[in-house]
This record gives sequence, C-alpha cells and structure tokens, in this order.
Amino acid sequence: MIEKEKLRSYAHKLMFDMKEEEYETLQKEFEVILKQMEKIENIPNIKNIKPMTFPFRLDKKRKLREDEIGDYLTVGEVLENAKHQVNDQVKVPKVVE
Amino acid sequence: MYKAVIGLEVHCELETKSKNFSASPNEFTETPNINVSTVDLGLPGILPIPNKEAVRKALKTAMALHCTNPDEVLFDRKNYFYPDLPKGYQITQVTKPMGRNGYLDIMVNGHKKRVFIHQLHLEEDTASLEHFSNYSLIDYNRSGIPLIEIVTEPCIESADEAVAFLEDLRDVFLFLGVSEAKSNYGQMRCDVNISLMKDTDTELGTKVEMKNINAFTSVRDAIEYEIKRQTELLEKGEKVVQETRRIAEDGKTYAMREKVDAVDYKYFVEPNIPPVPLTKEYYEELRSSIPELKLERYEKYINQYGLSEYDAGVLSSKKDISDYFEEVLSYGSDISLTVNFVTSAILSTIKKLEISIHELFITPKMLSGVIEKVKNKDISLDHGKKILYQAIEKETDPNELISKQNLHQINDKEQLLTLICEVMDENEEQVRQYVEEGNTYVYNFFIGKVMQKSNRQANPNMSLEIIKEELERRKNNG
Amino acid sequence: MIRELHEKLEKEEVTKEELFEEAKTLAEKYQEEFNSFVTILDEAKSKRRADSILKGIPYALKDNISTSGILTTASSNILKDYVPVYDATVYQKLKKSGAVLLGKTTLDELAMGGTGTTANTGVVRNPWNREHLIGGSSAGSASAVALGIVPFAIGSDTGDSIRKPASFGGVVGFKPTYGRISRYGLFAFASSLDHVGVFARSVEDVAIVTDIIKGEDSKDMTSLEDDGKVYAEEIKKDTTGKKLFYIKEICDIEEYPNKTEKLEKTLKEFQDLLEKCREQGFVVEEVSFDKKLLEAIYPTYMTISCAEATSNNANLTGIQFGPRGNGENIEEMMFQARTEGFSELIKRRFVLGSYILQKENQEKLYLNACRIRRLIVEKMNELLKEYDGMILPASGGGAPKFSESSEQVSDSHYILENHMVIGNFGGFPSITIPYCFDEEKMPVGVNITGRVMEDDVVLNIAYKIETLTGLKGIKAGEENV
Repeated sequence: MIEKEKLRSYAHKLMFDMKEEEYETLQKEFEVILKQMEKIENIPNIKNIKPMTFPFRLDKKRKLREDEIGDYLTVGEVLENAKHQVNDQVKVPKVVE
Repeated sequence: MYKAVIGLEVHCELETKSKNFSASPNEFTETPNINVSTVDLGLPGILPIPNKEAVRKALKTAMALHCTNPDEVLFDRKNYFYPDLPKGYQITQVTKPMGRNGYLDIMVNGHKKRVFIHQLHLEEDTASLEHFSNYSLIDYNRSGIPLIEIVTEPCIESADEAVAFLEDLRDVFLFLGVSEAKSNYGQMRCDVNISLMKDTDTELGTKVEMKNINAFTSVRDAIEYEIKRQTELLEKGEKVVQETRRIAEDGKTYAMREKVDAVDYKYFVEPNIPPVPLTKEYYEELRSSIPELKLERYEKYINQYGLSEYDAGVLSSKKDISDYFEEVLSYGSDISLTVNFVTSAILSTIKKLEISIHELFITPKMLSGVIEKVKNKDISLDHGKKILYQAIEKETDPNELISKQNLHQINDKEQLLTLICEVMDENEEQVRQYVEEGNTYVYNFFIGKVMQKSNRQANPNMSLEIIKEELERRKNNG
Repeated sequence: MIRELHEKLEKEEVTKEELFEEAKTLAEKYQEEFNSFVTILDEAKSKRRADSILKGIPYALKDNISTSGILTTASSNILKDYVPVYDATVYQKLKKSGAVLLGKTTLDELAMGGTGTTANTGVVRNPWNREHLIGGSSAGSASAVALGIVPFAIGSDTGDSIRKPASFGGVVGFKPTYGRISRYGLFAFASSLDHVGVFARSVEDVAIVTDIIKGEDSKDMTSLEDDGKVYAEEIKKDTTGKKLFYIKEICDIEEYPNKTEKLEKTLKEFQDLLEKCREQGFVVEEVSFDKKLLEAIYPTYMTISCAEATSNNANLTGIQFGPRGNGENIEEMMFQARTEGFSELIKRRFVLGSYILQKENQEKLYLNACRIRRLIVEKMNELLKEYDGMILPASGGGAPKFSESSEQVSDSHYILENHMVIGNFGGFPSITIPYCFDEEKMPVGVNITGRVMEDDVVLNIAYKIETLTGLKGIKAGEENV
C-alpha cells in the first residue's frame, strides 16, 4: 500500500491538502487501480506498442496557425475576474523567489 | 588546478506578429496587460494553436546550428505551479524538439571553438512578475511569446568562451532574422550550469545552476565568481552544494531558497496539438532560406577575397552590412575598392547619421557604378568619395552627379581664358613652338591640358578657339 | 420536437418569448426537486436576424461551457463566482442560429464523475424516479431534456458523460466524431477524450442541432473540416444491408457470474431489439473481443483521464479568476484556494493523475494505458472495416438508486457499464437512444458506435432503430414528478 505520507506529499505538490480519512480512501483507490494496471502490464508485447495520445491521426489535414494578429482581450477583460488589481495588473500576495 | 565545466541554457524570444499559441500581439510594451488573449491568460476552455512562423523560425535556427530536425511538429506539457504560469503548465518540447545534436563554431580570442548543442526546442514565455515589499503584480503581456531554448552540452570551459558563444549565438539569431535578441528587453536570457573538476577526474563535479541572467557581462561575472568561489571551497577540502544561485548587482552569486525535493515536471504530449508532419520539401525550402552566417562570411572574406582579418571582421560583423558589401561585389566591383568605400565612406556615414545601412540613400548598385568609374580612372578615389557625400546630401544618384558634372561645361569665355592662360604659362615650350615655328600640333596638347585642369568640364570647342586666339595674340605681341 | 416547434413559431402560433417563458416556468418548477440547473436566465436573449430552424427554440448548456457574461461554474466551488469574458464556439454558433439559451445545467464537479451526485450545488435526480440518480457528468442537461423543459441541451462527453445519462434519462444522447464540434470554450477535463455533444428526445432533433454546431474552428486545432453533409437529411436514408456487431463477452449472460434479474432483462430485451433490426434488413452479428482488453477499459480510462485532468485543472488557483484563498504569500494563497475549492473526489482524482505522470510511474502507468488505448482502438477499427457500427446496451439496466452508487474507484465493475469509453478512446461517433425499461420502470438506452468521420451513418442507423423501440420521444411523465 502506498504510504499516506507519500500521498500527502503528492497532494501538497498539487497545491492542496486533504483530510486524514480522505487519504485513507485514496489509499484504497490506489490499490485498486494499481492492481488493475498490473494486469495491463501482463498483456503480451505491451512494450512494443506505440502509446496513443490522439484518438486518430489526420496528418496532412492538420494546419498550423498563420502568424496574424486575431482576437484578444481588453485590459478590462483580462482583469475582469481577478480579485485584486493595481495599475492594471493582477495583485497577488508576495511571491517569494 | 581545477577546470570549469559549463553548460548554457539560452532562451530567446522569437520575432513574430502574434504569440506562439494564440493570436494576441507579440510586441514589447511597457503598458501592462494590453496584449493578452484568453489563451495567454489560461482561462478555462482555451486551446492552443501553434504559430506557423514561430515553428519555422525555430526549425530554421536549429538547422543553422546543424541540428537534426524532427519529422513532425509535436509539443509536450511541462507541469508546475508558479504565479507567472497561468495555465499551470508550459507548452514546450521534450518528445520531438525542433533540433538535436548540433553545434556552433565560435571565435574565442582569435581561436575557433566548436560548442555542441544538445537540443533546441520551442516553447512559450511566462507572464512577468514585479515584486514589491509585501505584494507582487502580474502582467500577462509576455505570457505566450514564442521562446526557443538552446541547451549546450557541458563543453564550455571559461567565461570568455561562454560570452563569445552568447555573442556569436546572438549573431546567428540576427543573421537568420529570427529575433532581435535584445538582452535589455529580456528577449535573450541565459541559465548557467557550472561545476569544477580536476584534469584527472573522470566524473563531473557538483553542479551549481544560475538562472535567468540577462546581460552577457553578468554571465561573465557569475562564471568568474563561481569559479573563484568553488575553487576556494574545494581547496579548503569542502564540498560544493548542488543548488540554484542568483547573481546580484555586486557581481557575486547567492544561494536561492531551494525546495527539498526536485520538481517532477510530469511531462506528457500536449493533447490539443495534433502532430503536423514536416515534409522533405518544407525542409529543402527552409534550408535554402538560411543565409551564410558570420563566421562563414568572415572566413570567406579572408580566404577567398583576400581581406585583412580586420576588414573581414568589420564587414562580417553585421548581416546588413555584410549583405551590402556582397551585393556591391555581385555587380563585379573591384574587391579592394569596395572594401575601401564600404569601410570608410559608407560606414562612417551611417554611423554619423545614426541610420541602418538599409536607410542609406546610396544603394549597392549606385556604389558599384562609382567604384567602376574610379577603377577606370574616370574619376579619382578622392573625387569618388566626395561625390558620394554630395550624393547623400542631395539624395541623388552619385553616378548622375558624375555625368551631370561632366555636362556642366565651362562655357564662360573669361573663365576659359583664365584657365588657358594658366596652362600656357605653365608650358612655355609649347607656346614657343607655336610662336616661333607655327606648330599647330600644340593645339591638341593644350586642349588636353585644359580638360585635365578643368576636370574635363571645359567646353572643348570654345577652348580650341580661345587657344588659337591666345596663341595668335602671344605671337603678335612678341 | 424541434421541427414542430419551428413550424409553430413560423406560423406565429407561438412566440419565442412564450416558448422561453414556458421553459423557464418548467425549469423553476422542477428545480428544487431535480436540480437540473446552476443558472436559469431571466430573459430570452437571441438574435433577431437569424433564420435557422433553431431560431426561437429554447435550450440549455452544460455549465462547463464558456458563456460571456453568464456565470459558468463547472459545478465546482473553485469557479463558483466565475463569469467568463468569452463565448465557447458551440455557444456562439447556437447564438447565431437564433436558439435561445434558457440556462446552464448542473454537472458532476468539473465533469469528473458519472453519477450526477458531485455538483457543488447538490445531486441531480432522475426525472423517472427521484430515488434514482440520472448519471453524469452531463446530469442537468439529461434531466432538463428528460423533463421536457427544453427540446435539446448541450453536454460534454469524456468517458460516456452524455451517453450514460441519456440512457438513464430515457433520452437521445449523441457524441459525434472527435473534433466534429469545436471544443473551444469547453472546460477541459481530458483533452484527448473530451467531446461536445447533444441531448434531445429524438435522433432527428440531435441531427438538426449537430448540423448547426458542427464545423471547423480556427480556435480548435483538433476540429474537423466540415463534411458538407446535412445530417437531418442523411438520417432518412435506407439502412437495408447495414452491418452491425455486438460483443459476445458483454452481451452473453453466461459471462456474468453474479447475474441479476435486472441484467438478464436488459440483455434479453437487447436481443429482442436485435431481432427487430434483422427483420428490418440490418445484418447483426456477434463478435468476440479480447476480454483482457475489455477489462482494461476502465483502468485505462481512469489513468489517461486523471492524468490529463490534473494538468488541465492546474489553472484553477484563484489568481486570475475564481475565489481567492488567504495566505501570507502566494503559495499559501493558491494552496488554500485549491484546498477549499475542490471536493474530495476531485482531489483524489488529481493525486491519482499526478502519481500516474510521475517520472518513475509514467512508463508503467501512463504510457501503458496509452498503449492499451491503441490496442482497443485498433481492434475496433478492424471490426469497423467489416461492420458499419457496434451496437450494445448502454448499461446493464436503468439508473441505480442513490444508495447503490459510489464514485469510489472500485474493483467490481461490469464491462457493460464502461464500454462506451471506447468511443472516446478512438473518437468514434456514438449515440445512445432509449430502447427499454427495466423492472423498476427505469429507462435503458442502446448505444451505436460507428466509424470515425461517419457521423451521418451512425445517426442514420439510430434513426431507423428508433422506430423499432416504440420509445421515440418519451418524456418523464407528470406522474413521476
């Protein structure tokens, strides 16, 4: 079983925390999913298969964007949802370098 | 003695109209948050679309650095949290970077050195943060600007080499026209990895990283300081700590706050950008668009054109000047005269007027005309240069000025007479031949002299008449 | 049905305002009981100059689709106050068509769930029986259509998030080929699996709406160039001779050691439907599909979707939008915003996804899942060379009761409950239509999945089969409410 502390450190790296009992549920989930994934590992020749990251390929039809200026936001729209602003910029608590 | 082993990671913003994955303007500005799209802000629901021109410029740079290029355009995500990264991931390249295993030959203190390039990839710049005493401000203008990162092998051994590499690399960007690479705008930035080892060591020493250095002089300072600091530590028998340090204004480096464990960026293929194949034809066309770079030109000027190292250096240092020089030569102009004209009259003029050579009124074609006339001794070298200055001032083709001056004959009788008298006074023997012997062959002699003295501006027919009259007068007056 | 409503509007028997008011009244009436909506709009806003068949027709959008000026929460606290500044392409197209937005529908938080029980505003109930769930994640869109509040609604589908609730809600749910409808403005869950799609009460209505919202979008590189087909016409083609297959390992009751009556009935009714299909000229055959691969569907889906989701949702930090956390420094602020903004389930999925992507686990977990994805898609493509479509029950029965369900990753799952993910793995067009009721009188859907790009064929087949079920246009009756 994956240690709770390890899970906690993963959660912290994702910038959140969870309750003790939630980590316990997660531990159980991990066991299930890892067991299922182990079965996958046993599929013959699995290593020789190219991982699929797109549902299908349409190589020649895919187009890059022409380098033209198109839609973009006004300063007001940029700041619309930011809770704090100063001088048309988003204000946040001190970023420690 | 310890030997420094240095690797550089150079970031350079590409010059494009729009950003790397969105259509907002890629443009340096002091006004915050005016060049921001939904994509640059990382709003929920946005999708990136790569910029064709950014892809082209990245591939072109990789090609110019002798890298191998990928068979298709593919991006990956680099996942980490930082307030300047609005999406929480940066779109970059790991699986199929734009270039791998290349090199750049540089000149260090007169010697050629090959710096090996590990990888060149295309990614996006982050937003910029401004820090105040108890808060920070975020400006998203920079977010999404196309950025190439060039990672060298750890094959650089001194601050001199590092700075020479950076300077020459910047010239590559400029020669290719992919970036203005202004380090004062942060368009070109550099991370330095440095470790020390003994000549006898087989393994690299502990690596120290210094991030985001803009000015090349700071790169020099940082490296020199680190070599000194690490040497002192090692000589005292202490260990170098693996850490990230920053260079301060005092030229010293200071350790930065470090996280306990290394960040795992959890790279995976960017699912919103399906692969776009890069064809042989595309690459052939791209290759044909790559101009000769600085060092190639420098060597060509010395070895093929016979220029001095100094002149070759001057004429290859900037692409526009070098292109100008080569265009003048392309009209068949004499090499040494061309070097002379370009390095003196042309360069001093653009420097004085504070303009680029493109803005100069004198085109290579015009200059080649002037050079031809000098070469044919129609005009003197000095006169040719004077004509050039006049041409710049009057914004007139110097070749037109030359012919106009030829047409601008001296038709004033008094003026011609003065000139002719001077010539006769200077050549009494020929006057005597006419006066005493009636030798009319001297007419031609005097015409020649007058033409010469008047810069071929004297009206020859009028001159002949006056010469005849004056010779008659001198004969009669005894 | 859309065509009738359109005619009434044309003949001025009803105005678009009246239609909107009617829909709004129903939405408000059912809201407390079923919780279909996050936001119900006050007034009908629509383009006057539009002249499409959807002009004046009210509809609903899943609340993970960006609507400028209208709250869009993805049913998560982390976006509970987020008002977008831009429109999703699908919303823009509907606006342009003159369709009238009634409101934004409830979903499983961030679309990451299949029960309709995890929205920050509470559970969505099944219109056929409020003790049962409706399924998710497009729970509100399914229930709004099932309740007859709107004739159609837009949803999104990453695993089966349209087609499962369509099955449980007794409505039609269609997810076209990946890229047929632009994803620009759809809050990403797992980008390589995410689709925008349509709920309606008939195949024709689904086709009509898809005709309006499909097409290439310069803001979505994965969008497809338009196929130039009018689906509402294509569906009427003759289907005689069309070949369908079903998977033995899923449909044979002997494959289930713990078979229930519910399952037995579902599979029996399914065979009856197949028989009717054959009578109508379809060729329907049983094929075998490697059970190892079928069993791998669920973990493969979990692995890929959680991995992509943890990255896709990394923008939710409360900095540039969303509720701010407190803290001395920015890290504390982000930490608090995310700790409070996500529910437990979401966090568990993110940790899982993050673990899967860790350098040391990538090969074994993430890349292996991507490999299985290829094996499954290749097998499917091989079958689709011979057949025009795959037909399978969308689930082993009607919607479960709330008490019977859990969002916890579990070991006991029927392949039958997860096979529709194949449609997402390969981007295949896939539709669910109601075909029977289970012993608890809950509707069950049948799913048809076809070749990539051939949305018209899938719709054509579904349109024909719809006539064989006797359940076309069903609506959760008043007696259930």
